Amino acid sequence: MEPLIAVNCSTIECASLSPSAPIWQDVLAQAITGELLAAMNYTSLSEICDDPEEVADALEHAQIERGHAARFAAEGRKIGVEASNNVDARHWKALREAFLRCIAERDFIGCLIVQEIMLESFAVASYARVGKVAPGSLGQTFARIAAEEEEHVDHAMAILRAERALDAQRFDNKVHRLHLDVMTTLAKMLAKECKDGHCEVCHGNCVKPSLFEVSLSAAELRGASLQQYLKTLDMLGIPGEVTLGWVAQLPV
Amino acid sequence: MGGSVASVVEPVGAIDGTVGQVDFALIGHQESWRAAADVLAVLRGPERAPLPDDEIKDILPWIPPRAVCHVEVESIVGAKARGLYIDSFIPPDRLEAAYVHENIARVRGAAACAINAEAKVVSLGGFSSILIEGNFNQLPERHDTVFTTGNTLTVAFIVQGIKKMSALEGRDMRRSTLLIVGATGDVGSGCARCLAPVVKRVLLSARNVERLSRLATELQAEGVQVEIASDLLENHLQQFSADADLVICAASLASPSLLLGRIAPDAIVCDAGYPKNLSPSAEISGTKVFFGGLGQITGGLKFTPDFHGILNRHPFPDVVHGCLLEGMALALESRFEPFSQGRGFITPERVEEIETIAARHGIYLAPLYNAEGPLNGGPDCQTACLADVPIHRREMPPPEDMHVELQG
Repeated sequence: MEPLIAVNCSTIECASLSPSAPIWQDVLAQAITGELLAAMNYTSLSEICDDPEEVADALEHAQIERGHAARFAAEGRKIGVEASNNVDARHWKALREAFLRCIAERDFIGCLIVQEIMLESFAVASYARVGKVAPGSLGQTFARIAAEEEEHVDHAMAILRAERALDAQRFDNKVHRLHLDVMTTLAKMLAKECKDGHCEVCHGNCVKPSLFEVSLSAAELRGASLQQYLKTLDMLGIPGEVTLGWVAQLPV
Repeated sequence: MGGSVASVVEPVGAIDGTVGQVDFALIGHQESWRAAADVLAVLRGPERAPLPDDEIKDILPWIPPRAVCHVEVESIVGAKARGLYIDSFIPPDRLEAAYVHENIARVRGAAACAINAEAKVVSLGGFSSILIEGNFNQLPERHDTVFTTGNTLTVAFIVQGIKKMSALEGRDMRRSTLLIVGATGDVGSGCARCLAPVVKRVLLSARNVERLSRLATELQAEGVQVEIASDLLENHLQQFSADADLVICAASLASPSLLLGRIAPDAIVCDAGYPKNLSPSAEISGTKVFFGGLGQITGGLKFTPDFHGILNRHPFPDVVHGCLLEGMALALESRFEPFSQGRGFITPERVEEIETIAARHGIYLAPLYNAEGPLNGGPDCQTACLADVPIHRREMPPPEDMHVELQG
């Protein structure tokens, strides 16, 4: 699969790769893919917005996400690796398709739930964890982008809370329907082992078993992501005992 | 454990989507991984395979405190109260001091859930009360919600259990020597004040020598024969164990690790810990062990979703630990007050007051039991030997025996 953003290999100046570089390469590849997918989602969202301000917001978000992808790619180059991307990889493709179903229904609220509540929870939590352990500017970039992504969530939260205030039961049912679609896929991505075969993003074998070498683990990234998701749902006002059941029913 | 678990913001909402104030909230945590697995299994539903043990251990520590189910309790005089069971999701193997800050944050998070639900009175179950009893100022801003450790009713049921077991065994308590392990805790000191006047001699064991001395002085002023020992000095505890014929284990232990030493073969031992105090390898063969501090609701108890037999297991229906029952009893009585707070303030008068309230609503001492099952009482009373009970039996009785027992 051809990367969606080009990586200028001539800028790679590292004389020798650190032993952990191949691990960061795959971590970055997942992050870049996620950012590019987010950019595509926001671009699609702009196409169903009626309000010119909303159109502008969505396009601005798309641009910001592309910027994040470029910053991650640059961090890869700094450590001497080419971090690729593949938005057509099996799980990412499924996530994109779920978002496009909302687009097809011109469901602006559904789009926000998928992108801002579900995908961003995953991004914020996992970037923050990586930011704590990754060395130097790589870690700083992950941490900064995690903080920026969190601002996206704040932006959407007010809209979604207002929507829930109109009809809480209807809203919660919608979130649950989307949860079953999107979070089931995310849960498979976050599983400790990739049981459905290669994810089509890692450049070689699955990176998950090697994460301990950089003080990470798949279980930790999953745990942090699900915790962030539950807290975000709490902030929306969905009863905690309800969301606990949703998360408990996800595949592992 | 990663991000802060204390920042939970949870609005109240019922399973059916309705919103409204609840009378009480019960804050608890699971005593074992088996119990935690069963809670998650109910949440997953019967159509999904239970999570493997390793996945449960990976996932549970990340779950923020939150309501697990709705609870309705009914009094024998027709009063009803509705509440929530809120789990702090303290992992069963993280009760040690090393996790104290994380666990306090979890209890604070659970307390925030209760406050958000506008609970009028909140009981702190298990380690929740131990973490908070001396630090009520660490709870979030409370509005109209009051908190009780529930320890007074726990003491009431321990004392009732000791008296009942002594009667069943034909003991004259006035000739007995009572050992209390964990004597300076809120529960231990409350038991000491209630039972010291009715026994011949009291042996107090705890870690903090200064607090021990203070309690001993208080009891001696009442004419009680008292001896103390820091249980850090194992020889002292062993000597005390050999001398005592009544033993209350009320120490704040992270796991069942109390060995006691060579105990009198016909001693009556009340294990009132949550988690249980007594180690499976304790040399207590021949002693009469029962689990103390438990009461039984006779008016009615309902969980939504149905967690009967899951939140804990017990050979009798509708059994709940005293500390949680205290909140329910206060709610049924419409006495929304912080009945038990702080450490060391439990008096016989307060114990009598709360047990009267509980009894008025049909909440009585639970039938006595231990890890092997119910104790029938009388001369043929089943002899307990925890050392002979496999650990898995202690954690999970056969499904047909399982009824509900909430911690406290």
